[in-house]
Amino acid sequence: MLDWIGPQVPWWVTGPGVGLCVVALYGLINARLGVSGAWLATIAPVEGWRPEPWRRSFLLALVGGSLIAALVGPPVVVHGYGRLSELLGPPALMVVLLLVGVALGYGSRWAGGCTSGHGMSGCAAGSPDSLVMTATFFSVAVLVTLALHALTGGRL
Amino acid sequence: MTRGVRWSVLAVGAAFGFLLTVSGLGDYETIHDGLLLEDPYIFLMMGSAMAVAFAGLAVLRRLGRTRYAGPLTLPHARVERRHVYGGAVFGVGFGVGATCPGMTVVMTTTGGLYGLVILVGLLGGLWLRGRVERRQRQPLSTEPTPPVAAPA
Repeated sequence: MLDWIGPQVPWWVTGPGVGLCVVALYGLINARLGVSGAWLATIAPVEGWRPEPWRRSFLLALVGGSLIAALVGPPVVVHGYGRLSELLGPPALMVVLLLVGVALGYGSRWAGGCTSGHGMSGCAAGSPDSLVMTATFFSVAVLVTLALHALTGGRL
Repeated sequence: MTRGVRWSVLAVGAAFGFLLTVSGLGDYETIHDGLLLEDPYIFLMMGSAMAVAFAGLAVLRRLGRTRYAGPLTLPHARVERRHVYGGAVFGVGFGVGATCPGMTVVMTTTGGLYGLVILVGLLGGLWLRGRVERRQRQPLSTEPTPPVAAPA
């Protein structure tokens, strides 16, 4: 339906758009928008604590909005996992991606947020912890990526 | 949750999920090429999101109050070691997988089944950190949010 906009909506739409989402959540319910916090709420029963009620609604809406975009939005073609799946066979790739997930989950809980909670919402509020966390993870990610690029002879 | 709070969360969450998906960041190459400093999309998106949110928050600060939850209280926390350590661990995952918790959702809903593998790892990682904190007899980490006000 929205094929005319091409495979990727330009950054000057998506960037300001998600920025407005951050402002809206602060302005409506006084909450910091964050995806890792929403996932954390799903394991709260296992750990025996009660998350704020809005967290699960947010996660459901996030999945719903994403599904709508997947159905009506620009075609997203996912074959495997990009260049990483050209380098690694499925079994090795699954192990690597599982560990990627563990690092994302462990790190975001340790730091108290991820790309959305600290990176967008916390930084926009000028919170020092968010600024430091975001600078750290972006720097580490760039270094890791450049190292992988060098180690694989440019295949990644 | 009052109706106002519920609908606010549903609308913002759906808009956020929609925008993340059409940004194409669910594709490994987009973030990977960004981190290789070859494609500026992620930095432009992130930077413009921060700029718009910063400007919007300046307006909200003037208003001083929120629609459904009383006075506005924005997060402001001092830097601790955990922000650097946690950020570094997160950065390794972000670098190797070229994805983050939000993009994992996008990857899965657009049919990338490897997204599910990352999701399982993500939940495992969140749980594992909780287990370590419990061992260290620390209070369990959750994400900061001011209390949502009672129905007006």
